[in-house]
Amino acid sequence: MNPLYAPRRRKSKIAMALCLGATIFGLAWLTLILFTLFWNGFAGLSVALFTQMTPPPNAQGGGLLNAIVGSLILTLLGIGIGAPIGVFAGTYMAEYGRFSKITSVIRFINDILLSAPSIIIGLFVYGAVVVPMGGFSGLAGALALAVIALPVVVRTTEDMLLLVPTQLREAAVALGMPRSYMIRKITWRAARVGLVTGLLLAVARVSGETAPLLFTALSNQFWSVDLLKTMANLPVTINNFINNPDPNWKRLAWAGALLITLAVLSLNIVARSLSGGRNPK
Amino acid sequence: MTEQTSEHTVRAFDRDLESLGRKIAEMGGIGEKMLADGIDALIRLDADLARATIAMDKRLDMLQRDVEETAVLVIARRQPVGLDLREIVAAMRISGDLERVGDLAKNIAKRAVALAEEQRLPRAMIGLRHMGELAAMQLKDVLDAYSQRDVERADSVWLRDKEIDALEDSVFRDLLTFMMEDPRNITICTQLLFCSKNVERVGDHATNIAETVHYILTGEQLPMDRPKGDMAGGK
Amino acid sequence: MNEMSSAQTMAPNADGVKIAIRNLNFYYGSGNPSLKNVNLSLLTNKVTAFIGPSGCGKSTLLRVLNRMYELYPNQRAEGEVLLDGQNILAPGLDVNLLRARVGMVFQKPTPFPMTIYENIAFGIRLYEKLPKSEMDGRVETALRGAALWGEVKDKLDASGLSLSGGQQQRLCIARTVAIKPEVILFDEPCSALDPISTAKVEELMDEMSTSYTIAIVTHNMQQAARISTKTAFMYMGEMVEMDDTDKMFTSPAQKRTQDYITGRFG
Repeated sequence: MNPLYAPRRRKSKIAMALCLGATIFGLAWLTLILFTLFWNGFAGLSVALFTQMTPPPNAQGGGLLNAIVGSLILTLLGIGIGAPIGVFAGTYMAEYGRFSKITSVIRFINDILLSAPSIIIGLFVYGAVVVPMGGFSGLAGALALAVIALPVVVRTTEDMLLLVPTQLREAAVALGMPRSYMIRKITWRAARVGLVTGLLLAVARVSGETAPLLFTALSNQFWSVDLLKTMANLPVTINNFINNPDPNWKRLAWAGALLITLAVLSLNIVARSLSGGRNPK
Repeated sequence: MTEQTSEHTVRAFDRDLESLGRKIAEMGGIGEKMLADGIDALIRLDADLARATIAMDKRLDMLQRDVEETAVLVIARRQPVGLDLREIVAAMRISGDLERVGDLAKNIAKRAVALAEEQRLPRAMIGLRHMGELAAMQLKDVLDAYSQRDVERADSVWLRDKEIDALEDSVFRDLLTFMMEDPRNITICTQLLFCSKNVERVGDHATNIAETVHYILTGEQLPMDRPKGDMAGGK
Repeated sequence: MNEMSSAQTMAPNADGVKIAIRNLNFYYGSGNPSLKNVNLSLLTNKVTAFIGPSGCGKSTLLRVLNRMYELYPNQRAEGEVLLDGQNILAPGLDVNLLRARVGMVFQKPTPFPMTIYENIAFGIRLYEKLPKSEMDGRVETALRGAALWGEVKDKLDASGLSLSGGQQQRLCIARTVAIKPEVILFDEPCSALDPISTAKVEELMDEMSTSYTIAIVTHNMQQAARISTKTAFMYMGEMVEMDDTDKMFTSPAQKRTQDYITGRFG
């Protein structure tokens, strides 16, 4: 055999082993986290979780209804504000402004925003909204979530639209289609799976954010859907409950953590199956 | 116009064309020799030379079939266009003309064998020899024009054919006179008549080759009406 | 500088000239022009082929004819392109209406992400409001015109992307033909197709050539020889020779053309 071949094979095997080892290492931790969550949170799962409000400390029973509903409202509102802006911004960057300098500047700023610590964003909204308003509110919380969701949607929208082949656009334009019509009816449609995936990923991202809500929506012990007042939400509730020695609260906190994990997991799975299932070529 | 100095990007194409050119060149050489020897054998009534000439025809026939097969293969493989296409078509036509020249020379040689016993030769033999020389020169010129891609030379061969036609007329009249003088001359004169016809047709084939060479080099055909033997001579 | 072998610059609308290109220069950004002083004419209801090595500007030229280059910044054209006597490079011209008259089929088949029916109807709806029965008829005519009707008539609701490559390309042709253009530009339409699909598309172009003015850019010289009436050879942004196809491929006038078509280039 070629004398160069044997040492190469050895090196290849060593590298393979290292890669495999790293994979197992990473997966092991992930498994551990999930296992811990399930183990501790499962005990707290019950119908009451979805029907009863957060209990006061050192009480029995109770649920997380107000926190769940609050989280849903904040998330939906946050996405409802951030996503449309993100889609239109991404569309501008990929379509109208594709070749202009300003697009690269926007992309750069967007990437910074994307990886900004969420607590900074929380503080920003605190200073910009909470202080002038004179108090914490669900609205401020939603705004903070919107600011977090925005760069995710901008990025995925632009990426997905850039994946649409230029020749498809040209084919549409060659029929005499005005540009905006082409973008709406052809490009968006061609990228729809990717765009939806991007939205789902943004939702998954914001549903677990705690830090920004700490300074904006805070939390609420009771049932409230008033956006101008503090609003209960899962992450902050978990934060509060875990720090308290009350075992009932601790149980609820674990259950809440499990709920969030399950929600994010299923969103990711749905997003993955949507983008993986379609293979038009 | 066309001076192909550059080679095909695919070298095998050049090799194919070269092989065709070589075969045509060989055919041309054989054809010229057969014509010269055949006439010679006739004039000197040399039966051995005649028989040798007849034997050369086989190689010529084989080469002609070879050229045709090669040309067809080149068309299938290379889908030639432009100059290449004209060259291939020309190779097929010229090989056909040269093969016919060989047949005509063989025919002359056969008649030379048949006449070997004769004693009295008519005066027309001189005219016939002159015709043979002209035809041989036409053939040589046109083959040179082909190998050197010289369109003017080819055109002049095309124009000179009328000289052979004129000579053939006079040989015909001489032989007719000889036959009328003495019926015992009829055999030999008839044979010589055929030979003179054959030589005239060699000239025609040389003209065909000239037309083909003109077509390769200019992409156009010469006019259909060639000037016939009335023009005041001169090369 | 610009060598022409036969008279190509003709007066508009004389002798059946559909598109007359005059002194066309094209620039990608600042720098040397990619098309240099091009002059030629496309004859009405005839197929004109453009051949030449990569980068010679033939696709660029095609994309000037329907102003497709305007989608990109820094690309500009100077000169005149007269469609039935009207300069289509004039600034005030409605580009969308131009593109309704001058259609284009691309190298890569690009069916829209919709059903086969919708692919065709979509373009028609840009210009006409038709009741469903009429629209059905138009779709069928277009698909028949592209020799695709027999293969898809039972699955008009299937996605356009479910067809094979050759069928997709014929769908794109049907889509282009459905809006009844006068000129159709083909940019290497068969280079992504297998030989049988290529033959079908060529047959289609042959049938279409009596009703549409066709310009085709192709890398395949045998294809140009097969389907076009006139051929233009371009090199480095210039039009080197344009002539009847039959003459071009048996005895071209220019040595560069001869070298290119016989494979003696480079």
